[in-house]
Amino acid sequence: MAERIIVDPITRIEGHLRIEVEVSGGKVVNAWSSGQMFRGIEVILQGRDPRDAHHFVQRSCGVCTYVHSIASVRAVDDAVKVKIPKNARLIRNLLLGAQYQHDHIVHFYHLHALDWVDVVSALKADPAKTAALSDNVSNAPWGGTNYFKNVQQRLKTFVESGQLGPFANAYWGHPAYKLPPEANLLAAAHYIEALRLQAKAARMHAIFGGKNPHPQSLVVGGVTCAADLTADRIAEFLYITKETHEFVKNVYIPDLLAVASFYKDWGGIGRTTNFLAWGDFPASEKEPESLFMPRGVIFKRNLEKPVMADPGKVTEHVARSWYEGAQARHPYQGETKPIQGDPKYDTDSKDGRYSWLKAPRYEGEPCEVGPLSHVLVGYAYGQKEWKQPVDHVLKTLNIPAEALFSTLGRTAARGIETLVIGEAMQGWVMELVENIKKGDTKTYEPYEMPDKAQGVGLNDVPRGALGHWIVIENKKIKNYQYVVPSTWNLAPRCAAGKMSPVEEALIGTPIADPKRPLEILRTVHSYDPCIACAVHVIDPDSNEVYKVRVA
Amino acid sequence: MADASENPFDAANAPEILVLGIGSLLFSDDGFGIHVVRRLEAEYTFPDRVHVVDGGVLGVNLLGVISKPRHLIVVDAVRNRGKPGDLHRIDHEEIPARIRAKNSLHQVDFLEALTLCQALDNVPRTVILGVEPLDVETLGLALSPPVAAQVEPVIRLVLAELERLGVRWSRKDSSADVSGDPFAHR
Repeated sequence: MAERIIVDPITRIEGHLRIEVEVSGGKVVNAWSSGQMFRGIEVILQGRDPRDAHHFVQRSCGVCTYVHSIASVRAVDDAVKVKIPKNARLIRNLLLGAQYQHDHIVHFYHLHALDWVDVVSALKADPAKTAALSDNVSNAPWGGTNYFKNVQQRLKTFVESGQLGPFANAYWGHPAYKLPPEANLLAAAHYIEALRLQAKAARMHAIFGGKNPHPQSLVVGGVTCAADLTADRIAEFLYITKETHEFVKNVYIPDLLAVASFYKDWGGIGRTTNFLAWGDFPASEKEPESLFMPRGVIFKRNLEKPVMADPGKVTEHVARSWYEGAQARHPYQGETKPIQGDPKYDTDSKDGRYSWLKAPRYEGEPCEVGPLSHVLVGYAYGQKEWKQPVDHVLKTLNIPAEALFSTLGRTAARGIETLVIGEAMQGWVMELVENIKKGDTKTYEPYEMPDKAQGVGLNDVPRGALGHWIVIENKKIKNYQYVVPSTWNLAPRCAAGKMSPVEEALIGTPIADPKRPLEILRTVHSYDPCIACAVHVIDPDSNEVYKVRVA
Repeated sequence: MADASENPFDAANAPEILVLGIGSLLFSDDGFGIHVVRRLEAEYTFPDRVHVVDGGVLGVNLLGVISKPRHLIVVDAVRNRGKPGDLHRIDHEEIPARIRAKNSLHQVDFLEALTLCQALDNVPRTVILGVEPLDVETLGLALSPPVAAQVEPVIRLVLAELERLGVRWSRKDSSADVSGDPFAHR
């Protein structure tokens, strides 16, 4: 007999996502993903000056301020047909790269690790054995018996004070935790070191972002931080970039591989089929040709044949969402018309509506976006910056490429791209230095605001493919729509009844204990769900703990 | 790998006192803290050891900013079973209890970040200055009348806290932009 499990809300820190699954014979057999809050920011933008849009959209999320800001500026760049100067392109790339470094380190250690690492088990570890393990698997600069004894003591204080903070919502002692106590202690130590590092990495944005923590230096036509292009500022940026990269190379990647080696079965769990990347980090005016992170789509896991992605082929479906009508539309024609009255959460009927998220489709197909798509597209094109680290991970873990389309692959891909982008960033800083040395200090290109225009900003940000579409009339915003990564990944079904990536990924997931569905959290968290921008806040009191209901 | 103490830029970036506004500008009274810090930035001058920061709804991502200073003055909308517009002052020792009370949209995240400062060995001495909101759900940029009326009094409270810490502040030229619309910068 099938039973239903509902987990609500499911994100560890941000957002308001509800996941419902049907379990039969110890495995998930059906799944529904629901965004529980309405997003209405598009409505606030109508009638405003297009140049101001980015100030609003960067407020729609607590984490992704920069990415919405740049997506919006690029959409208007495209609409007014301005070509930005080289310095502006490099600075935008560096700021986006900094976002990747920061977000992925935070995701791995602070939002996802505790699905795999049992902090309470770490209290039982032998500090001397942990020190030996650390010397063996990690190139971390910290270690030794005393260091781990000290960490263990601090964890104990944390646990005993009753202020578990982000440690509060986990299923400590769950049978699906596989790491020995020493590995748990090692990872917990690095959780704390990563806190320190991320605090520093966040400063990269302050250097060229003008204002911390909400970057103010982007404008249509370029950037405004001309005054920050001094030797001191650039040196500080480079310093933090290098320090962060060292951490990724010597701590994050070794931790990732060490933890993954205990969870290789997750190479067969959380699997999806199609992968879309808009790509990002242009190396010249030519897009998509010059994108360091390439643009492409992989259908049916076919790594032999990636195809170029075309934003004209995107539609958003509302047939199963709480919006009027059932017409799928391209974002330029997109509407945001919530149904009147209380929405009825209906996952029982064939055409029931159950989410505030729309369902984006590419050529009618659901596509996963995010680190796994970035890495797979780069790998499929055979670009060596992407292929080499993927091959290294496959070889170290002794798993086939087929295991990449999974929760294990998704989490590994996030680490891989942090490494690849961090390496590239140092080159971009040097390019910037060379360019300024040559006497090119231009950061802004003037333009005329047309009466009527439309534009798209295509980006690939830490959570995945992000597009902003703007329609301008009388120099004002007539329509504004954005299709965000979490909408691609966490949407409900579409008009054709096809599941979204996370719904598909959950099918087949083993569930050891329906009352403590840790395995569901692993796959859902592997998408780094944050739907503050996809939807909006209603109930401040629902954000505290997971409500797990077994129906 | 470089040790934290080796970064020559770290010390220069760390203020002694941080005034932090938090909240979402897009949801009416939830933006109260941001309205206050924007006015402080526009109308007042502070010495270098004081930083004024618009923290938005960054939650745990604020850790980098809040783990450095010795004193933290937070301005926020706070639900504390009062009437809209009521002022609240929550001092350091009272804060842990409020974590469980969970009085605002973003406080959980923010207070989690504050808790995590323990792991970084520097928990700033914190005071939260807040106003009881009327409406934190309507999508809109304006504060409701009872909450808007408290912007000026809370600015004075912040200045008083700073004075207690020995800070001398001054007013900028009165021609500074003091418009209530946080996006009216053109």
